[in-house]
Amino acid sequence: MSTAAPTTGRPTETSAPSATGGRRRPSPLARLSSLSWTSLLYVAPALAFFGVFVLYPIGISVWYSFYAYDGLTVGTPVGWGNYTAVFTDGRLRAALLHSLVLLLFYAALPVCVGLLLAGAMSRIRVYGLTVFRAVLFLPQILSSVVVAVAWRNLLAADGPVNAVFRAVGLGRFATSWLGDFDTALPSIGLIGTWVEYGLCMVLFLSGIVTIDRSTYEAARLDGAGPVREFFAITLPALRPQISIALVLTVTFALRNFDLIWNTTRGGPGTTTTVPSLYVYQDAFQNRMLGRASALAIVLTLVILLVVVVVQLALREREGPRRRFTRPRTPDRKVQSS
Amino acid sequence: MKSVRREGAGPPRFAPVAAAVTALAALLACAGCSPPGAGRSPAGANQPAVTDPVTPAQVAELGEVTLRMWADQAEKPLMKSVVPAFEKRYPNVRVDLTYKSFDDLVATVVNAASGTNPPDLFQGNIGYAVDGALVKAKLVRPLDDVAAAYGWITGTGASTLAPARWNGSGTAFGNGNLYGMSPISEVQGIYYNKARLDELGLRPPRSLADLEKDLPLVKKAGKQPIMLGNSDQYAATHIFSDLAATEQSPASIRDWIGGRAGTTFVTPGNAKAAGTMADWAKKGYFGSGYDGLSNEDAVSRFAKGSGVFFVGGSWNGATLDPGKFGFGALTTGGAGATASPWHISASSEVTPAAVAFLAALHTPRTGQEILDTGRLPVVTDGVKGGNTLQSQTLDALKRTIAAGTQVGYYDWTATDMLNVMGGKLQEVMSGRTSGAEFLKAVQDSWRTARQKR
Repeated sequence: MSTAAPTTGRPTETSAPSATGGRRRPSPLARLSSLSWTSLLYVAPALAFFGVFVLYPIGISVWYSFYAYDGLTVGTPVGWGNYTAVFTDGRLRAALLHSLVLLLFYAALPVCVGLLLAGAMSRIRVYGLTVFRAVLFLPQILSSVVVAVAWRNLLAADGPVNAVFRAVGLGRFATSWLGDFDTALPSIGLIGTWVEYGLCMVLFLSGIVTIDRSTYEAARLDGAGPVREFFAITLPALRPQISIALVLTVTFALRNFDLIWNTTRGGPGTTTTVPSLYVYQDAFQNRMLGRASALAIVLTLVILLVVVVVQLALREREGPRRRFTRPRTPDRKVQSS
Repeated sequence: MKSVRREGAGPPRFAPVAAAVTALAALLACAGCSPPGAGRSPAGANQPAVTDPVTPAQVAELGEVTLRMWADQAEKPLMKSVVPAFEKRYPNVRVDLTYKSFDDLVATVVNAASGTNPPDLFQGNIGYAVDGALVKAKLVRPLDDVAAAYGWITGTGASTLAPARWNGSGTAFGNGNLYGMSPISEVQGIYYNKARLDELGLRPPRSLADLEKDLPLVKKAGKQPIMLGNSDQYAATHIFSDLAATEQSPASIRDWIGGRAGTTFVTPGNAKAAGTMADWAKKGYFGSGYDGLSNEDAVSRFAKGSGVFFVGGSWNGATLDPGKFGFGALTTGGAGATASPWHISASSEVTPAAVAFLAALHTPRTGQEILDTGRLPVVTDGVKGGNTLQSQTLDALKRTIAAGTQVGYYDWTATDMLNVMGGKLQEVMSGRTSGAEFLKAVQDSWRTARQKR
């Protein structure tokens, strides 16, 4: 088996020079370009799938967003009308504000909790770690409808959460968590935290495994405590994982719909409305496909913007890890000239 | 470097991205010249009129055909008896029935009807979101000739056809041509737990005044008066509509729901009803945490003995034990409506078979089967309840239909009315919004929806 892998991988590389005539050693660029042709064949199915099921619908959404269209009768062009409607809609401002609150619960909190757990596990040897990881990761696998129904029951006025409050003498705090104007949004937020922190933790744990144990030993010899160790070694080393975790959780937070639809439908009142709720309502209830598309596209751009900001903020700066990539830099210069 | 460029015949590595972006741009550029939905033409304008009830011989002329149908899965128990009987009477027709959950049906049926191979007979939903769209796009066949041929216009339940009548452009309903028919009726009212009432020494309420007298007594006895689950935001709007219907003429409510010009939601009757909802909520008549409980959960809790009253409608009755619970209408000749109507596709090629199926649904025999399967029929001639709860619900319905005053549901009036009214009513009940503000918000939404039509 060990010899099989290289030989199957070879043809793509060896065929490259012969395709270009074989007169001289192929330059890196030539190799790259011929490689991309053949590799394109490999990715072609995925690319076709991506085009049909992702790019094409996005294109359709952009197209619809410039029309008043009910999905049946001929649409009338409205120019940027749908977009101005999105930006002047008072309901959406409140919804966006709710999204920002949820960003704390869906992204910031899970990352913090995940870091805390991963940091603690990096110091102690945990027996049955795989089992822990699997159990804590479980919320990620569950269908969000199942999650919503389960939490609706847990958080009900006479549900288990309130039973715990009453049992420890905090009965006056017991309330219908999802039905109370003041607690509904944070409650939905905490459900999101529960769903996401397992993912963050597993990501961080996998990152910690790659950290050289000797750096911890060195830090300990220098007299660093657990807190110092965490901030000096673990946290900086986890930068790429934190970046990935934030991209995933921020996207989840901003496009969240199913959890809210299946717990509160945006209520009570409008305390838990989010933009994606209005995308659904406009598209499927109000048959305003143009307006729903415009809102969905604005929402996509907002998510992209936030993700880019996160990526830039957590971009790896010049550091010891970068050293390994340095030799390639001259090549790049040649390519770009 | 030049030679490398020449020899590197392949495109640069950003080629896939560039290709995708170009494709997208091309699509957009092409899209720029024609609006979405252009090029579709409404089909089947030349369907023959029905002048007499369809005979098996006429249906047989179609040859071996399939009648394709879409139905709410709530129809399944009824269809189990109707479809085999139909296939026996019309042996050349095979019924191909697709069931959808109500939410799924409402979200997809319009697109299915506008597709290249639409079902011949399907259920829509009253109001602008579904039926209005179907009529506007001319996807469903007018049924005036069918209704005349079968005598639906003069028989029992004739008034239940009103919500399926539309003007030709699908912008107003309640009057005009008939586009659908529902064999199922619904009546709103109050369910009570007989044992609890006995314990408290109370008699079943026969009117809203009775109920208002009972509520403080039940509360004082330490029981939850009304079981309510309002997390879906619609259960409370049904209670509101019961209260509102006792305060004003059913005709005025119907006019407003139908979108008639000059009507308004800002009426003293609605203001009083909103005030009562806030008052009842404040006094704890709905218990606590009702906004965090789904309507389905509330019904099952009520069925298990929590709460003394449940204000809802006949659609809630199927899960209640007829021996333990009773039903009464709070308003005589007030709230209630018909369920999702059936439509015949304008492009159906087996229209006679579809008409025959519709007719089979609109008979006293099917009416009895509808009641037996836990729902209420439009055709009530000779239909008898199998237990007291069924009989009580049927009586309430008969009184409502006899008075000709089924008002329908508020959410028919605009596609987003359920969200607007449901959400605002939650605010009223929690004391966060005044009744006046609630009425104004509802009326604003009604006006906006009307202007767009």
